[in-house]
Amino acid sequence: MNVTRREFIQITGATAAGLAVSGLGIGLSPVKSHAQMLKTKYAKETSTICCYCAVGCGAIVHTSQKGDGRVINIEGDPDHIINKGSLCPKGAALSQLTENSNRLLDPMYRAPYAKEWKPVSWEWALSEIAKRIQETRDSSFQHKNEKKQIVNRAMGIASVGSAAMDNEECWIYQALMRALGLVYIEHQARI
Amino acid sequence: MSNSFFIDTTLCTACRACQVACKQWHDLPAEITQNRGTYENPPDVSFNTYKVVRMRENVIDGKLNWLFFPEQCRHCIEPPCQDIAGDENAIYTDAKTGAVIYTANTKYLNFEEIREACPYNIPRKSSDGTMAKCDMCNDRVHNGLLPACVQTCPTGAMNFGKREEMLDLAQKRLLEVKAKYPKAELIDPNDVRVIYLVAYEPTLYHEFAIASNAAFDMTRQVALRKIFRPLKNIASHLF
Repeated sequence: MNVTRREFIQITGATAAGLAVSGLGIGLSPVKSHAQMLKTKYAKETSTICCYCAVGCGAIVHTSQKGDGRVINIEGDPDHIINKGSLCPKGAALSQLTENSNRLLDPMYRAPYAKEWKPVSWEWALSEIAKRIQETRDSSFQHKNEKKQIVNRAMGIASVGSAAMDNEECWIYQALMRALGLVYIEHQARI
Repeated sequence: MSNSFFIDTTLCTACRACQVACKQWHDLPAEITQNRGTYENPPDVSFNTYKVVRMRENVIDGKLNWLFFPEQCRHCIEPPCQDIAGDENAIYTDAKTGAVIYTANTKYLNFEEIREACPYNIPRKSSDGTMAKCDMCNDRVHNGLLPACVQTCPTGAMNFGKREEMLDLAQKRLLEVKAKYPKAELIDPNDVRVIYLVAYEPTLYHEFAIASNAAFDMTRQVALRKIFRPLKNIASHLF
């Protein structure tokens, strides 16, 4: 028996018969209805602002209450005035900022002229960065300018900041850069 | 009282937030894909991808149009896949939400039969034969939340709610949209729980946007099962 798929979904005569029977008082109660538990049911909820663009959408972060505290889910905050629960594709993928097997977990170092990156310890990386910053800063530091005015500035380092930093992070960053004597400080402020 | 989606493709910008939110909520892995010369990616729905935004370039009345179609399971009111399966432990309709649900028992079904029966070419299987597709975020809906794709949609193209409300909204939008797009129509609104509003001929959006007219062989067994299904459901409550 050949029917088209279009006809097949439109065969509804039997449903009408079923309704007629239900008029006799025989309940057509659900054959199957599974109440399902949300994966976020026992999670801790924290509100946050999406780190990506200047719109500043609100999001809810669901984290596990059991020990590890990992992120279970991040979705738009329906109560947030800006986005009312919606998120763009980048925002909808926020949970992958932490939950992604492709994330780097160690600092990576590529020595001058080396072809490969290699993982190094945080201790080595931080002390190496501090050492090199100090070298550059000390060698390029100007105590006075040509007019003999005191300027105390580091001319050999510039900072191009992270667009993903929020207002408070930018303040700390700015304070650090000024303390080092930097004058070339640029930031693509978004949120 | 079951639910329905209303998807207004005239508002869709193909940002694919729905695709991402769907993967995110269901914890589905990414797929390794290749550049096929289109932003439409992954190339098709799969066991791990329940939702794909179709993008088609068409010249209509001498003007280039880029048509977007967020494709997913339509949660048919009389689902052919469920009728063909004939096993409530594998494919059933959640009477409370209207979601057509595939369980792990789908691996005992004949995949080709199920896929053939689908007017929209949606079911896909994994390597062990288990089938999967959009589940209407049944867990979220049971707990009073919107499906992930609807919640994330930034343009309002995706809507979800009580069927009557969605049908009203669809009719209202159809009237508005017709002023600009005289050929606008709703796709199979009386047969499915995912109602699309399109501005042009549905097949311009995607081959399977509208229920396929291709014939398939319905066995007598399946035909009988379909005809007697409501009676069988009643019987299961009497005994």
